[in-house]
Amino acid sequence: MSAANKSGNNIAAGADMTSVFDMTTATDLQALVQPHRVHRSIYTETEVFNAEMSKVFGGTWVYLAHESQVPEPNDFLASRMGLRSLIITRDSDGGLHALFNRCAHRASSVCQAECGSARRFQCSYHGWTYSNRGDLVNVPYPEGYPADFHKADHGLAQVPRLGTYRGLIFGTLNLDAPSLAEWLGPAGPLIDGFVDRSPSGSIEVRNCQRMIYRGNWKLAWDNAADGLHPTFAHRSFVILNERQHGGARSLSQFKSSPDDTGMYGADLGNGHMFVDQRPGLHQSFWDTQRPVPGREWYAEQITESSGDDAGDVLEVAPGSMINLSIFPNLLIKGNHLETVDPVTVGETRLHTWVAAAAGAPDEVNVLRMRIAEDFPSLGNPDDLELFERCQEGLGIAEVEWVDMSKGLGHETEEVSADGVVRAPVTHEGPMRGYLRAWLELMSSDVKLTTAAAGEVSCEVAA
Amino acid sequence: MGPQAASPVDDRLYQRLVDLLSPPQPDPGPGHPELRPAVEQALHHEARLLDDRCYRHWLERFTDDCVYWIPLDPGGDPRTQVSYLLDDHRRMEDRIGLLETGWAHAQEPPSRTCRIVSNTEAWPLEDGETLARCSTVVWEHRKDRLPPFASRNDYVFASLGEEWSIRFKIVRLVDSRGDVRKFSFVL
Repeated sequence: MSAANKSGNNIAAGADMTSVFDMTTATDLQALVQPHRVHRSIYTETEVFNAEMSKVFGGTWVYLAHESQVPEPNDFLASRMGLRSLIITRDSDGGLHALFNRCAHRASSVCQAECGSARRFQCSYHGWTYSNRGDLVNVPYPEGYPADFHKADHGLAQVPRLGTYRGLIFGTLNLDAPSLAEWLGPAGPLIDGFVDRSPSGSIEVRNCQRMIYRGNWKLAWDNAADGLHPTFAHRSFVILNERQHGGARSLSQFKSSPDDTGMYGADLGNGHMFVDQRPGLHQSFWDTQRPVPGREWYAEQITESSGDDAGDVLEVAPGSMINLSIFPNLLIKGNHLETVDPVTVGETRLHTWVAAAAGAPDEVNVLRMRIAEDFPSLGNPDDLELFERCQEGLGIAEVEWVDMSKGLGHETEEVSADGVVRAPVTHEGPMRGYLRAWLELMSSDVKLTTAAAGEVSCEVAA
Repeated sequence: MGPQAASPVDDRLYQRLVDLLSPPQPDPGPGHPELRPAVEQALHHEARLLDDRCYRHWLERFTDDCVYWIPLDPGGDPRTQVSYLLDDHRRMEDRIGLLETGWAHAQEPPSRTCRIVSNTEAWPLEDGETLARCSTVVWEHRKDRLPPFASRNDYVFASLGEEWSIRFKIVRLVDSRGDVRKFSFVL
């Protein structure tokens, strides 16, 4: 680790917290997260949320952006790490930075744009001007500052450790966190599988649907590897497809007895989770894909241009049929990179970025755009509705527990050499797994650090 | 439900949508006042059908080659960008069919809505089509009173009068770049 911390901005996570009951001590937390159930307070208490914002969203690797969103030197993109506003920049030499969007002078944000290209960021308030590496390059009327005022000490603070894996950019404020490769573990090869569906072995992140729901961020996490809910929560979608389009269309694999289909869920360790829906399909992805606008015309173009390979080319258009969740904030599913962004203990943003397949014919990516609107607009509103209903129920203080016991004590789990625990898709093992990782982070003493320009490390995990 | 027609969406249709919204739009000048009564009649009728949740009647007012589009980035190209939705007639039928299953939880209980349509302008296009632009505010109550959806809408009417019909409906939400709460009814 090359990152040092000359500026001395160490923040002991949760140190000044006052609370009705001390949520931050390991023993209390352990009582809240039990093997078969969790306490409602982890979804409802502001003290827990505040601790999460430092220990989880900062104390470990957090997904920030994709390299294809800052492809050229001097490109930048607005992002967040928990509640912290960030500017992801690529400097003129191609290096990546995650700058806190906070003027070193009086704290105003210095960048208001969502993305663009800029060599400099000038604060509109008093004109302090920074390079896209975060160096303070100019202050107005410098003669008035004390003799010991050095611009080198007043750059934009930034995330001290960055890491990339197949174009995904992660960052952490914890210098003691494991390497990114170690943190991802068996999730790495599964990311490869998602990315390698593209003919050129890379994805191109396009624009994003932004949704907000009134519920805790972990409700999205509970749902991400929950193979029990589609049969019920998405009943409207399953029935619709059967009525309108017949046969084995999108989500029909969850119509009844999903555990008999071979679909499975997996606890990948470190809070990462996986659901593989592919064993539930009996036809190609393209044949099971619900008909989307332009299906016929674009398939015809692809058939004409790709000839015998058309079947393989079309197979790249539909979603990946996996749900790969990289703790704590990235849900890879369909052709999406969805970020889970906590706002308050009871409010969460979901930003669903769509990935185009680099190297595929344009027609395939046109279809990807329409497919990317399909389940998100027809199915996701029901998920969000149910998250909000859960938050409502969790508000009842006297009814304390949330059950997560499905699969416990059954001899259905398979553990592979890399520690991945697989179980039938309706079991709740992955949920218990991510909460174990959550508990470990929340119970640890995490020291968060910011860095100055030139003190940042960036590791390439793949 | 019977078998559905193939999608009419092709490259040419996308290009037409892009051209409709492409900036910079030359100012077409003030709307044609003689078109306004018929356009308002159709827009107000549409608003009432939606507020009454008469979705099948609403759908009947769209041409077979229609598009109902809620872009995320108005001015962008739907061939390279995702939208909240870009529906042809077939997917509009699906959207309504979903509500009719009785299992669309996000509409249980259903939203009660009140649409205000204003600032209506209209211009003649070729082939008897009419371009209309208006501002719309949709108030919603469902369990709670919810913040309204405000949008600038663009319509291409294939015909007006008693038999009015819509070819394109584009809903440009003012907050489409921000965090939008879920919408599970037709805007």
